[in-house]
Amino acid sequence: MTEAVVTDIRPLAAVLVSAVSVVLIVASHRYPNIRESWSILAALTKFGLIASMVPGVLDGTEYEASLGEFVYGIEFALKADALGMIFALLASFLWIFTAFYAAGYMRGLDEGNQTRFFAAFAASLSAAVGIAFARNLLTIFVFYELLSVATYPLVAHDGSKEARVAGRKYLAYTFFGGGLLVLGGTALVFAMAGTTEFGATATHLADSNAALARAAFGLLAAGFGVKAALMPVHSWLPDAMVAPTPVSGLLHAVAVVKSGVFGIARLVLEVYEPQLVGDLGVGIVLAIVAAITLTVASIIALRADRLKRRLAYSTISQLSYIVLGLGLVGPAAVAGAGLENVIKGGLLHIPAHAFMKLTLFFCAGIIHVETHTDYISEMDGIGKRMPLTMTAFGIAAAGMAGIPLVAGFVSKWFILIGAVQASQSAFAVVLLISGVLNIAYFWPIVYGAFFESYDSADSKPLVEGPLGGHSPKQAATDGGSEQDPGGDAESHDTHVEEGHHGGPGDGGWDRVGWTGDEGSWLMLGPILLIAAGAVVLGIVPDAAVFLQLIEDVAQGVMA
Amino acid sequence: MTEEALPALLIAVPILGATLPLALGLVRQRIGWWVATLVLAVEAAMASWIAYAVYIGGDRITHILGGETFGRKEVTVGSFDTEGFIVGIELVADALSGLLVALIAFVSLGVLAYARRAGPRQNTFYSAYLLLTGGLMGLVLTGDLFNMFVFLEIVGLMTYALVASDRSAASAVAALKYLVIGTTGASMYLVGVGYLFVRTGTLNMVDTSRVLAGEPEWLEVTGALYTEPLVVASFGFIAVGLATKTAIFPLHTWQPGAYSEAPDSVTVLISALVSTTSAYALARITWVVFTPEFFAVNVKATEAILVLAALSVVIGSVLAAMQQRVKRVFAYSSVAQFGLIAMAIGISVHPAATDTATRFAVYGVVIHLIGHAVIKGGLFATVGAIKKSTGARSIDEYAGLATERPVLSGTLAVLGFSLIGVPPMIGFVGKWYIGLAAVKAELWPLVFVIFASTLLTLLYVARLLEKLYFTPLSETTDTAQEPAVATDGRGSVSFGMVALAVTAAVLAVGLGFMGAELTDAIDPLVDAIQESSPEVHQ
Repeated sequence: MTEAVVTDIRPLAAVLVSAVSVVLIVASHRYPNIRESWSILAALTKFGLIASMVPGVLDGTEYEASLGEFVYGIEFALKADALGMIFALLASFLWIFTAFYAAGYMRGLDEGNQTRFFAAFAASLSAAVGIAFARNLLTIFVFYELLSVATYPLVAHDGSKEARVAGRKYLAYTFFGGGLLVLGGTALVFAMAGTTEFGATATHLADSNAALARAAFGLLAAGFGVKAALMPVHSWLPDAMVAPTPVSGLLHAVAVVKSGVFGIARLVLEVYEPQLVGDLGVGIVLAIVAAITLTVASIIALRADRLKRRLAYSTISQLSYIVLGLGLVGPAAVAGAGLENVIKGGLLHIPAHAFMKLTLFFCAGIIHVETHTDYISEMDGIGKRMPLTMTAFGIAAAGMAGIPLVAGFVSKWFILIGAVQASQSAFAVVLLISGVLNIAYFWPIVYGAFFESYDSADSKPLVEGPLGGHSPKQAATDGGSEQDPGGDAESHDTHVEEGHHGGPGDGGWDRVGWTGDEGSWLMLGPILLIAAGAVVLGIVPDAAVFLQLIEDVAQGVMA
Repeated sequence: MTEEALPALLIAVPILGATLPLALGLVRQRIGWWVATLVLAVEAAMASWIAYAVYIGGDRITHILGGETFGRKEVTVGSFDTEGFIVGIELVADALSGLLVALIAFVSLGVLAYARRAGPRQNTFYSAYLLLTGGLMGLVLTGDLFNMFVFLEIVGLMTYALVASDRSAASAVAALKYLVIGTTGASMYLVGVGYLFVRTGTLNMVDTSRVLAGEPEWLEVTGALYTEPLVVASFGFIAVGLATKTAIFPLHTWQPGAYSEAPDSVTVLISALVSTTSAYALARITWVVFTPEFFAVNVKATEAILVLAALSVVIGSVLAAMQQRVKRVFAYSSVAQFGLIAMAIGISVHPAATDTATRFAVYGVVIHLIGHAVIKGGLFATVGAIKKSTGARSIDEYAGLATERPVLSGTLAVLGFSLIGVPPMIGFVGKWYIGLAAVKAELWPLVFVIFASTLLTLLYVARLLEKLYFTPLSETTDTAQEPAVATDGRGSVSFGMVALAVTAAVLAVGLGFMGAELTDAIDPLVDAIQESSPEVHQ
């Protein structure tokens, strides 16, 4: 490994390329084909730029680009290092597929305001890569806020009452997390350390007032935790599912939520560094919050009937795996064992979850476009109508549950081992329980799709039955406002009343062959490719570049 | 000719120019706009020159009105001669006033591009407009406390006139309210200055500051005067007077009416400049006349400022969120934003503030003053243009306008997010420094208010943007567009109106990246404040 810092325009170019494409997309709003090709071109260019830095980064080179002093004592600066590369590579790679998929999806549904949609989408990717490459806390905050702004139009895209309320909630949550918590934490860190540069603050923070250092960590972790959908600030995410599915897929399973997780990774590994995280005792708190989130979210997912909502709760739960891994960094550093494993597991789950969850969302999207079915209770026997889609769905769901040979297993394994090594076996138990819960909420979908038919499906007591024997109305009032399964059932009713034709209609699902007649290849292609990616990550994790990058990060932290 | 004449010319040119529209109006109708443009173009050139001299050349330019007979006098103390007071009115262009001079010159010139189509078009309007510009220039350039009162009154009177210049009943009432409250504020200021004069015997800011510090040896003063009741009371009167003019809660009641009833061009001008210069006056007197040493022994004075400022931020934002008319929303928003600025003034002289805290607070004051002027002026320009072209005034009428007016809606979105403090725009930079100053001074309740103000601003901006972009066109909008408006007003937005709004949006983003240059420009001021020096030397 050769350690070197090189000044290079590419990190900046990678951020700007989709910002430029925003202008082009808006300019060509009259010609949809040209407009979409800008998206695809920008995605390819962005990925190319980022991928071209991978070999250098693997050799230990860091590419830097600075726009000079932004505010007193803080530069507006970007840096492509191993950790940032994981996130940037992931987001830009998956954007390529999403760009195709989004074109197919938006056209398939004949959505309005497509120019605004694609422009905001490209802008979001700019912000996401900016977050990945930010060199200090203030720069990451800049992009973190811009990401909130850029994704707001996507959440509220529909313009319906539900979408507007979700958009309002989204803005309120993300600005609470960004403008209040992250900014407050950044100011505290700057006041204590005199710098916000990643990797340069830990020694100063260790010398500062421990209470203030803890407060700053709490503010930053909570602020990033809003986007990472940690409980109790998670409830924007299920509501944001009102957005078109490519948004739910790439942004609310990959770019936006992972920006929060990534922020926590920077915070734990580079702002405070593992030893200090352990000494201050904040790592274990983070791990406990994550453990609670991942269990509770899985349980709520059991009762969500709308597929996208169930996936959203699954996302909340899976993101907490990553946060759990990062939180365990503290105890592991203190115990002097398991540090490398928890870092590897936590970070590897970033790409692993991204591939799997994007597949799942894309499946939900194509089902919606082709059959207008949104509810799991209407999907029995859908394997006949959409065989390829549901196969991909099954593979990705298996990965989510941590079944070997799919991406999710490897990362979970590392966290599990690391937790035991760090003498935090309680968290290992939580992980195992959550695996069971994952199966419990995914298996019925797969089973129903392939092994049942619409007419003769078994009853689904968890989804349809009242919670704990109450009447549904009481369940709604008991369930609280954010995670209430009763509310889900209500919106289900209105959904049907509005006259959308969910389900197969009379006579059950048509049988469609395995040759891809089930939907547009613009959507089907990306689904199959990404599902294949998830398998590759699971079978040969070493071959995929992500694990190498993660090992670099882990070694850097250990050194 | 050297730069020394510039401060005087900057004030004299627009005031003398104000007579021209009236005089030439006898020959030609509607010549006022041309005269004003010419005069203010000259003004902008002079402002650029003086800004260049101050910031690049590093000069502190002073000019004493009245020529040779005035100026600093010698006094004989015992057997040796020493420096006495300055006799006459001194004008000062330094690191603080230079930025404001440039701001006033360019904003008043830019708003003309807007007023060309938006009106009013009478020659008298442009006379008042030029007088107002001259008054504002005087207010920021003067180095004399009583002279500041004179300019405060010129600005006040001209603002009253301009607010009522469309001759509607509502604007007349708003102007009258402003007149009563504004004049009371100015009188308070005068009382405060009177007290100071009684105690110190001078009106020049530098000399007053020195006497307060007990510096001049020839005065039989036994040390600093900071604890004397007369001096403390004078600060109270001055602060209350200027807070009234700045519209800090609870002295803000004139402002929403004045902003929302005034003709659109006038709203743009006064929202960008009038409260800004009053806040500048408060900052200047706090920093260089009373200096941090005064506040070190009068902690209560600082605390009072901080409490009122914090209330202003919270209540102003909440009131803004409760409004239906868009102009009133942004009017109340100014109450909140000037609350932030007043808060930063308070933090900068707070005894708990370290040198770095003071530095960041001063940065915050100046950057937020300028940033807010650009943002708020741009917002009112956008709102005015939208009203002119679609007839929409209330938030409900904004529903679905984004498809109809994409450029103006985009401008509104950019400026709105800048006001919230989304980085990297200028609204963020100011807020960052103010927040950082509070963190450094460890004033935790203020830290909370400052960072929470982001969410409070989001309350009303998001409401507006949601209507614009995501609410389908409602029935109310159609009925609101009366036929008269449709034939005459609708669609008649000029290029100048849109250009001013877009320029403001571009500046709001662009200035965000100029943070380092701005702070460099202010550094001499920071040094002066940290040393409690009455003169800002480069």
